[in-house]
Amino acid sequence: MDIGEKDKYELGKRDEHNNINYQAPVLSSDWQFGGANLTSAGMSLVPTTNPLAIGSSCASASLVDSFGSSLWEHPSNSQNMGFCDFSVQNGANSSNAMEVGKGLPNSLRSSIDRPFDMGWNAASAMLKGGIFLPNTTGILAQSLSQLPADSAFIERAARFSSFNGGNFSDMVNPFGVPEPMGLYARGVGLMQGPDDIFAVNGMKSVSVMESQKSKLDATEATRDAGLRVENRAKASPLENERKSESLMQPNEEAKQGTGGSGNESDEAEISSRDGGQDEPSALDGTGGEPSAKGLSSKKRKKSIQDAEIDRAKGGQTSTKTAKDSPENQQKQSMMINKTTGKQGSPASHPPKEEYIHVRARRGQATNSHSLAERVRREKISERMKFLQDLVPGCSKVTGKAVMLDEIINYVQSLQRQVEFLSMKLATVNPRLDFSIEALLAKDIIQSRAGPSSTLGFSPDLSMGYPPLHPSQPGLVQAPLPVIGNSSDVIHKALSSQLTSMTGGLKEPNQHSNAWEDELHNVVQMN
Amino acid sequence: MHFLGSVELLSLSATSFPLLLSRLNFLLFSLSIQEQVLARMRSPFSLKQEFLKKWILGLQRCRSSKKNMSIFKRKKVIKLSADVAMASARKGTTCWSRALIADAVKEGNADKHLAEKILGPASERQPTEKVPVGAMAYNKRIRSKKILKRSSVIRRTIKCAPQAARPSSIVKTLVGKRRQILRSLIPGGEFMNGVSLIEETLDYIISLRAQVDVMRSLASASKLVNLN
Repeated sequence: MDIGEKDKYELGKRDEHNNINYQAPVLSSDWQFGGANLTSAGMSLVPTTNPLAIGSSCASASLVDSFGSSLWEHPSNSQNMGFCDFSVQNGANSSNAMEVGKGLPNSLRSSIDRPFDMGWNAASAMLKGGIFLPNTTGILAQSLSQLPADSAFIERAARFSSFNGGNFSDMVNPFGVPEPMGLYARGVGLMQGPDDIFAVNGMKSVSVMESQKSKLDATEATRDAGLRVENRAKASPLENERKSESLMQPNEEAKQGTGGSGNESDEAEISSRDGGQDEPSALDGTGGEPSAKGLSSKKRKKSIQDAEIDRAKGGQTSTKTAKDSPENQQKQSMMINKTTGKQGSPASHPPKEEYIHVRARRGQATNSHSLAERVRREKISERMKFLQDLVPGCSKVTGKAVMLDEIINYVQSLQRQVEFLSMKLATVNPRLDFSIEALLAKDIIQSRAGPSSTLGFSPDLSMGYPPLHPSQPGLVQAPLPVIGNSSDVIHKALSSQLTSMTGGLKEPNQHSNAWEDELHNVVQMN
Repeated sequence: MHFLGSVELLSLSATSFPLLLSRLNFLLFSLSIQEQVLARMRSPFSLKQEFLKKWILGLQRCRSSKKNMSIFKRKKVIKLSADVAMASARKGTTCWSRALIADAVKEGNADKHLAEKILGPASERQPTEKVPVGAMAYNKRIRSKKILKRSSVIRRTIKCAPQAARPSSIVKTLVGKRRQILRSLIPGGEFMNGVSLIEETLDYIISLRAQVDVMRSLASASKLVNLN
């Protein structure tokens, strides 16, 4: 039992280390826009002991709570599912962790589990940034002296330097890497490479100093990660849009991947796509992740130079197939604008050009998320907003899938109503003779549309119609108020109304004659 | 407010000027589409009137000499004439209307003669006749797209089998399935891709709503007449 407890406690230690690892990004992101002193924080986290870990976990829990909706909702929304799947597939690992949690005192467990959940999401979010970092650092060999400014990476690197090389494997295992996290495992494996270099450089102070310097010097991935963090931190109204975009992006990606047929993409398009990547990095930040995750595996298999070529080719093949001509022209004009813009101001933005270059290499994601793709996504989101206004009860709903559900239900209900009404009309009218009714209906429509009406009784009828307007609850209800109204009118028997009623009833006959004359004319014309 | 969102995006992106231009172009383009749809929504009354007129015309054409049409046949006639009237009210501008009419006069359709009767003499069918050539080419393109899609989906499922649990793929399948359902609902939906699908849905919903309103008012009016 002692041994078992010891094991549990060791596992618990590892768990807390994991928590620290996960929470470090949380805290680090906080510091990033808090502008706090990174050095002290970075240093303090490294030599952690158990009580400190617990304390930090509690602190981070409070921090995370303070961030609350703005920071964690959306990533956690998108990643909670992933987390659930991880927990399902982690199997032994997670159950071990949970048992460990049970082994520890309850207070600790509750405090650790929550940040664990949050931390997991944070970690998966941050690790995406981290995955990109080693690639770029591997690419830019000369810029290794300028270490990435991402403090999450700093933390990780600090930890790596503090541990021995052998411990790195220990670090990897307790993360409980299941198959879905295979990317992460590969990313972590890749981090071993720069890890050695960083250990050599004694990066702690250097990295921190570098982080304090201008971020423009940093690699684009770090900038991206930083921007991503900043964007998440800002509780902006754009978040919903971004979230819906990020939700839409996987779908569009699927279409991208499956579209496949040869689009006549010029070199200009490729270069312009490269050039066009540094603009809304905000969108790309959130959008780059899910796609980059799927494509980063492709990246690592090839060498870096080959990767670039493949990516360019892949970008060609994966571009959307030629749609309607105005869209294509618009795309091309946009591409042309971008290329001219790039050529027009090369001198003014040399660091940006580098930036663009790096960004293009970073992943096929950026090619498939070219400007055209973004434009298309925005179009779709726009139309969906229209549909939101059109379909009743859709205003509160966000997210493509649920909205599409609502739309499908609405269309189905409308179609069913048409069926029902046609059956009803068939019963009402044995001879398919709708002339008089048609006239009445026409006037009814007119009276609904405008206040003025020729017939006397139609204002009375129109009173019955507002209940018809707002909803389509049951069609049986619809005629009843009308009939009730008319009967009331008849029963009230005001002389003017009676005369108007009878006058109105007589008028249709005259009108119907005119209508039928009109119809005959039209038929004769045809 | 959507416009504001786009402007915000613009300010955030800090792009070069040509990019800004392109963005503005996109905004203008999108606005034109918006205006189009808004125009259609703003004048439902004219749409309803046109629909009613065409519907009654079609019904009159269908009025057979036989006194006893079964109720089901009548219902079919009514519905068919209503649908065709709705579709022709669009005058061939939208894909679903063309597909609806094309389906009605398809060779294997049981009520082909009915539909043709409703549509009237060939002279009236101009807008629909023009389209089929382009539609055929478009259909071919779409079919090839679909074949490619299917093959790449198979490839992708083999590749991504271990990663099927990712949230993005879950979202993909969720949205994709619903898109398929929507395509099956809308006439001619199989031939539409993402953006046009939503546009067609918009238009179709507007038309359906107008159709329902008119039919309902007609039903109530005929009830009134029958009562009195």
